[in-house]
Amino acid sequence: MAEATDLVERAGDRDPRIGLRAVVALRRLAERLEAVQVRGARQQGWSWQEIAEELGVSRQAVHKKYRGQ
Amino acid sequence: MFERFTKDARAVVSGAAAHAERAGEAVVDTDHLLLALLDREGSRASFALDALGARDRRDSIARGLATARRRGGLSGAEADALAGLGIDLSEIISRVEQTHGVGALAADSGGRRGRGRMRHRPFTNGAKKTLERSLRIATGHRDRHIGDEHLLLALLARPGTPAEVLAEHNVTYDRVDRVLYGEPERDAG
Repeated sequence: MAEATDLVERAGDRDPRIGLRAVVALRRLAERLEAVQVRGARQQGWSWQEIAEELGVSRQAVHKKYRGQ
Repeated sequence: MFERFTKDARAVVSGAAAHAERAGEAVVDTDHLLLALLDREGSRASFALDALGARDRRDSIARGLATARRRGGLSGAEADALAGLGIDLSEIISRVEQTHGVGALAADSGGRRGRGRMRHRPFTNGAKKTLERSLRIATGHRDRHIGDEHLLLALLARPGTPAEVLAEHNVTYDRVDRVLYGEPERDAG
């Protein structure tokens, strides 16, 4: 984990690469979390419409992305 | 491109599909390619992996890949980047797993379970790019054929879980390249 500490320390140096990498990681993490939550909501019987409203997107968008799960 | 693949390289591609199938996943990803590479015997790639002591540590490598998958496919570098923002990825994983079960965050988009019986498993973008990269690496070395060693180099040349897990086992692009071609060479891809 010495490397991790290194990275964290360098974040203080305002290396844009570190910040950008963190943004990408956050996006990917958000995507994974969204998939988990949508799956959970569906299992609890939520409609696509209800899920879409919570996520602030259209019903079609959610359905297209997650149908078949 | 596939007509230039050697028997060993083809075996890796079909072996990767078999690994995906066994894991109940509907797509073939780069970690399946690596698992299939580790299965090879008497090939150029297995020679290189042997020389670097990685074939004996196959189980450890497979565990590393499984851990990354449980992290939702986020790499160690990405986990570090999040840590830099004060976000503890392992804490998030354990909370999600408390509510949604172990492995809930594992890359699982596109409805892969439930359709697991699909005969033809598509390759992910990353896996396709790896195959394309292997062609460029072979060309860079003026090798006529694409062997499993080029697939190994391609996995190592691209950022991602396989390269990271291999690096943790002291297998890097430069080291494999040196074992195979003698002198160190700068990025042949």
